[in-house]
Amino acid sequence: MELRRGRAARFALGAAIVAVQFAIFEIGMRTWGSSEAAPAFQGLFADDPTIGYRLKPGARVRFTTAEFDTTIAVNHSGLRDDQELGPKPPGERRILILGDSLVLAVQVPFAQTFGEVLEQRLNRPPAAHRYRVINAGVQGYGPVEELLLLRSIIGAVQPDLVIDTLFVGNDAEEAVTSEPRLSGERPAAAALRDSFAARLRRLVRRSMVLQVLRLRLSQATGRLSFSAAPPEAPLQSYAARPAPRIARGLAITRDAVQAMIAASVAAGARSAVVLMPARFQVDAADYGRLRQAVAESGGELVRDAATVRFQEALTGLDAPVLDPLPALRAALPGPDLFFQQTVHLTPRGHEIVAEALERFLQASGLIDPPGGR
Amino acid sequence: MVFNSLHFLWFFVVVYAAYRVLPHRAQNWLLLVASYYFYASWDWRFLGLLVASTIVDFSCALALDRAASPARRRLLLAASLGFNLTMLGFFKYFNFFADNLHGLAGSLGWHLDFVTLHVLLPVGISFYTFVTMSYVIDVYRREIPPTRKLVDFAVFVAYFPHLVAGPILRASRLLPQITLPRTVTRAQIRDGLWLIAWGFFQKIFVADNLAAVVTQVFDASAHPSGVNVLLGAYAFAFQIYGDFAGYSNIARGTSKLMGIELVENFRFPYFVRSATEFWRHWHISLSTWLRDYLYIPLGGSRGTPSRTRRNLMITMVLGGLWHGAAWTFVLWGVYHGLLLIGYRAADRSRGVHAWITSPAALARLTSWAVMFHLTCYGWLIFRARSAGQLAEMSGSLLTRFAPATVDVSAVLLPLVLYTAPLLAVHAVEAWYDDLLVVPRLPAGVRYSLYAATFYLTMLFGNFGGAEFIYFQF
Repeated sequence: MELRRGRAARFALGAAIVAVQFAIFEIGMRTWGSSEAAPAFQGLFADDPTIGYRLKPGARVRFTTAEFDTTIAVNHSGLRDDQELGPKPPGERRILILGDSLVLAVQVPFAQTFGEVLEQRLNRPPAAHRYRVINAGVQGYGPVEELLLLRSIIGAVQPDLVIDTLFVGNDAEEAVTSEPRLSGERPAAAALRDSFAARLRRLVRRSMVLQVLRLRLSQATGRLSFSAAPPEAPLQSYAARPAPRIARGLAITRDAVQAMIAASVAAGARSAVVLMPARFQVDAADYGRLRQAVAESGGELVRDAATVRFQEALTGLDAPVLDPLPALRAALPGPDLFFQQTVHLTPRGHEIVAEALERFLQASGLIDPPGGR
Repeated sequence: MVFNSLHFLWFFVVVYAAYRVLPHRAQNWLLLVASYYFYASWDWRFLGLLVASTIVDFSCALALDRAASPARRRLLLAASLGFNLTMLGFFKYFNFFADNLHGLAGSLGWHLDFVTLHVLLPVGISFYTFVTMSYVIDVYRREIPPTRKLVDFAVFVAYFPHLVAGPILRASRLLPQITLPRTVTRAQIRDGLWLIAWGFFQKIFVADNLAAVVTQVFDASAHPSGVNVLLGAYAFAFQIYGDFAGYSNIARGTSKLMGIELVENFRFPYFVRSATEFWRHWHISLSTWLRDYLYIPLGGSRGTPSRTRRNLMITMVLGGLWHGAAWTFVLWGVYHGLLLIGYRAADRSRGVHAWITSPAALARLTSWAVMFHLTCYGWLIFRARSAGQLAEMSGSLLTRFAPATVDVSAVLLPLVLYTAPLLAVHAVEAWYDDLLVVPRLPAGVRYSLYAATFYLTMLFGNFGGAEFIYFQF
């Protein structure tokens, strides 16, 4: 009895210590941490009944990691911009860039995002018009959300050109997950919101300590698996034999892009598509590591398969497609084009994409050549 | 297969589960198969070398035991040492000597047209050749009887926790634990689990995180200022310590779980106050090996002062070369040889001796600070990519210290954050003079340290799976 009481007391003491230290680390990481789980970063987003979430109008967040330190300002239209949208002045040409985190680009100051660099380049004298490039990128968006966002802001933005930036790495996957939103339904994940597992997931998402522990656990379980697992979701688009949902995602993406083109035409705008590559498509060492990891789990990674699949899926649409991959590869060797700890572009990477985009827009006749018509 | 990999975790779980249910002889067979699998997972082609070394030294030791004439005994010893040193010399030093010979001939205007071999370094070869050599020497000296069971001897050589990065074990300590039945006590399990957890903390939290700081200084494109060189040297001192001591602790911990006790390899090496003390606390299994099988046979300190100095220098130069085939390691050995000679000479001066041994706080602080910085300068030699970089960094320390240029965010802050928890635990251990005091502390303190070690490792550890630095030696 005495022994059992002693054990219970030690267990209680241990549990209390674990809990107190948990609280200390949670407070410390929330105060000084820089993860995307940090409440400050989560403060960038607000719920949206149609799209799920969007950038919170008027939000202002500082995002600091070992690699970068940026302040992200959201204007009152819910777009990353240091200026308000306002009515379109006469003579202004507006280019709206839709996309995910690669467009939002929280890793670099606003002036160094490829959209802003493009704006600066297009407005060099002798500019044909006064161009304004509007960043409508939102972290975590896929083609479905981009279409829904376009429909909700196109009237206010009054674009002359709409560029949808697709990330070939995960947009096919995300299109499948988000497809129900097109018919006004919530995705399956949202429908499960009230389940215990979903509540647990939300709890984990709110805790920075639990987020990191979950990451370690998923790394461990992923690597501990004895079975020949297929490549993980973000790499499925590159698999030699992708899961059937990739073909489905590509079809949904095509439909979404077609709907974007239709919405743009209705608003008097033209359209284009940019296919953003994953870092390993540019970085050979990164590719070598991933290819080996996928091979060890029984899969086969084809470096440019996703880009090719997206190009094929978009064939025949009334929107020219830019693949910035050759321009990014041509910029090597040189300063880093991607950050090391994230898969996002560095300021140098944004610059290369902006240059490629300018050349593409001119070659496609989507913008007037310098000096105007 | 590195300790900090999931491959090792699976391997150990399976081996340990089987180990706990098997009888003693079957345990040894299991350990042998597991150890060979562990080694083959690096590169199966080199398993033959390990087996050859085992068979040659096992046979030589048995023959030594049977041989009566001193001449035959010397011949057998020479055969064993010759085999091991030839193997070590070829695989570890062939490229080094060939390249240097080629360079020397070229500088003299001669063209040497010899075959260039791209010799790969078999992992752990420096460790297991020293293990088998010490066994044959001990048998030759009649300090231990040879073992007559090949399996037991093969386990002694290949025992996986120490195979690729030590500690360098002595037959007198390990062989009896292999040949006799083992029991695993609760205390061994408790201490073993703590050593494993602490070893992972030293590797993943301290060493692998400090690696980025070290790279920032040593691999920078621009020449760093003196203050950043100093901080980089501090960072490398703790990186290599965390890396190597972490490996040793995991090796000791896994062994304890199997009821086998390995020697301590590190004992607060950065808390010491003289060079002589440093080598009693750093890589203890190597320094005692060099002492017993090289320094003392050379004559040790029994001859004249100049002969003692010569013996110290030979021992340290060869100790430096043991770490790798590069001139920076030779220079590092020379540097430590000079430190030992210098401290030995200073020890004779009554004032310096009193300063080094005084219990007064100021003397302790200053003598510790001097030795710590001398050690760190040694690490600068060790880590430098070339003699040119060493000269450049030494110049920065002396003439371009520039304290205002300290890189706070990339160097100073990580250095402080990643070493403070390590030093705090070491301070407690040093206070009790017990490397295993943590599992014996009062429950509240003990649980706090367990929890903090877990959280720090999991939340802030570098899980990139970097190899241990000493594997390359």
